[in-house]
Amino acid sequence: MRHLYVVTYDISSPKRWRRVFRTMRGFGDHLQLSVFLCDLPLMERVQMQALLHEIIHHEEDKVMIVDLGPTEGRTIQSIETIGIPVEITKRGPQVV
Amino acid sequence: MDAATDSAAGAEEVPPLPVRMLNEYTYCPRLGYLMWVQGEFMDSADTVDGRFQHRRVDQEKKRRISRRAPVDDGPVTIHARSVSLASDRLGLVAKIDLVEGECNRVTPVDYKRGKRPHIPKGAWEPEMVQLCAQGLILRDNGFECGEGVLYFAASRERVPVVFDGALIARTLELVDLMRKAAREGVVPPPLVDSPKCPRCALVSICLPDEVTFLQSQAHEPRPLFPSRDDALPFYVQHQGARVRKDGDVLKIMERDELLAEGRLREISQLVLFGGVQVSTGVIQELCKRGIPMTYLSGGGWFYGVTHGMSHKNVELRRHQYRTATDASRSLVLARRFVQAKIANCRTLLRRNASTVPEDVLDDLKGDMRRAGEAPTMETLLGVEGNSAQRYFSWFSSMLANGMGFAFEHRNRRPPKDPVNALLSLAYAMLAREWTTTLLAVGFDPYLGFYHQPRYGRPALALDLMEEFRPLIGDSAVITAINNEEIRRRDFIETLGAVALTPVGRSRFIEVYERRMSQEITHPVFGYTISYRRVLEVQARLLGRHLAGEIPEYPSFTTR
Ligand code: SF4
Repeated sequence: MRHLYVVTYDISSPKRWRRVFRTMRGFGDHLQLSVFLCDLPLMERVQMQALLHEIIHHEEDKVMIVDLGPTEGRTIQSIETIGIPVEITKRGPQVV
Repeated sequence: MDAATDSAAGAEEVPPLPVRMLNEYTYCPRLGYLMWVQGEFMDSADTVDGRFQHRRVDQEKKRRISRRAPVDDGPVTIHARSVSLASDRLGLVAKIDLVEGECNRVTPVDYKRGKRPHIPKGAWEPEMVQLCAQGLILRDNGFECGEGVLYFAASRERVPVVFDGALIARTLELVDLMRKAAREGVVPPPLVDSPKCPRCALVSICLPDEVTFLQSQAHEPRPLFPSRDDALPFYVQHQGARVRKDGDVLKIMERDELLAEGRLREISQLVLFGGVQVSTGVIQELCKRGIPMTYLSGGGWFYGVTHGMSHKNVELRRHQYRTATDASRSLVLARRFVQAKIANCRTLLRRNASTVPEDVLDDLKGDMRRAGEAPTMETLLGVEGNSAQRYFSWFSSMLANGMGFAFEHRNRRPPKDPVNALLSLAYAMLAREWTTTLLAVGFDPYLGFYHQPRYGRPALALDLMEEFRPLIGDSAVITAINNEEIRRRDFIETLGAVALTPVGRSRFIEVYERRMSQEITHPVFGYTISYRRVLEVQARLLGRHLAGEIPEYPSFTTR
């Protein structure tokens, strides 16, 4: 089952920060500085965790993964924004 | 090299058996067979996490294990990680997470994710057998080894496993059984209504309940796999666009302008229309990830596919070739394809055209019967041709009036009117869909049973798509027109040939994809499933039929 996750991170080296950022781009939408929103099946969540685990420095960096619950539900309403609206891409086949 | 000495002359040599596979075989013989002999593999959260845990073990410093401990230097402590060893006598190979010991007495340690199971024996049989096999390999390499340890990472517990007579006998028995199954090429039957299946990574490949149901009609199949896919197609039809890769994201560019992007993880295939450029980096990445890339001409003619290395399931292709060269078995399959197609055409007419007279429907029923009895391929082709004419002569009665679309008869290459242009595109999309599905399942899409192989034509894809032409292709065309998603102005005509404009094409692709994603009740199995998944299930069931597991190919017809 897919869940929505908010992933935020504090990374102390710019090089690792960029690697984390690039990795996270493969998993979700970049909401704002060091914050991603991801809609993932369990397998990808595990993959994401494993990848981040390898990139970060375990004494100097931290990553927080917040599970917002099943995607098919009303969880998306639990995100409220003030100011510039947060844009979330809709999943589906894409035609360019 | 004496591994082959025990196999009979001419018989195939069975390669060394990895003890990891023995674990799967102990869990379920069919699982072990699918993974080892047929090379099937599918990631699940468990396997990804398992690899992650093992990598942590591997990353810790690797040290070589010395085969013989020096005698006079006093006791030598052994602590070796990720040790690869083999036993020619047993025909086994293993990669042992950790070998501990002193002098010649060693203990294999196997890392398990998760917590220790609270059962009387302290561990499940598959893990115990795997560990015991590791111990036997160590013994064959000159070590003394009387027990092993299972280390459960989540609860940080060590569970000792003594290699007693019973466990050793069981392990050797399973090794023999598994090698015998591989040698004889007989896939073990699925477990019946087993609680192991919902947790099995290969459940959507194995189709345990479906196969059992088609064999004996017992037990209504449980919906054991996701009814929908996590990855979906990505189409690029913008002429002059370039596809680039940036990390795990594909970027569609026109000069320096970003038109769109898509995460590779969410893409099931990349579909390119006409003049779109792709970088080598993208091709490599797609091949590596097993994402096929397909090409259609601007006019919607499906002409190619790029994909990574072929599927390892050689056994499946062997069954396919054997059946395709057997004229009578091919004819039986061909009859079913044609019969099911006519049945689905008839249903579509019955549902969407109130003006179709009863006797036309009766005639189509007659065609179905004739197709089912056709004594030769030629007769069958004739029946199919007649029936198609009957069907298409009433096709326009399914189109809503007043949309300005007329349809007289089917024509193609090039299509001469808008409805034919839509049908051609829909069928090309379906042929593409089937080609990639068959490749993913392990078939050779170019060798069919009904369609004869002609250079470059995906004959098997054309075979299997027959019954889906009305269900997906025609139905998408009718929806697009009747919902006014496609209008007259979405077409351009040049020299008598009619084609869709880029805008029209993109809208039609959306209608088509909606149809593919539509969830329906499976007519045989009764659970909810999307058409996209139906194709995969059909392809796998065909494989099960060719291997002799189920008596007939269950064609897909709706009521
Ligand atoms: S789904 Fe069930 S029967 Fe099939 S391989 Fe897995 S455990 Fe065995």
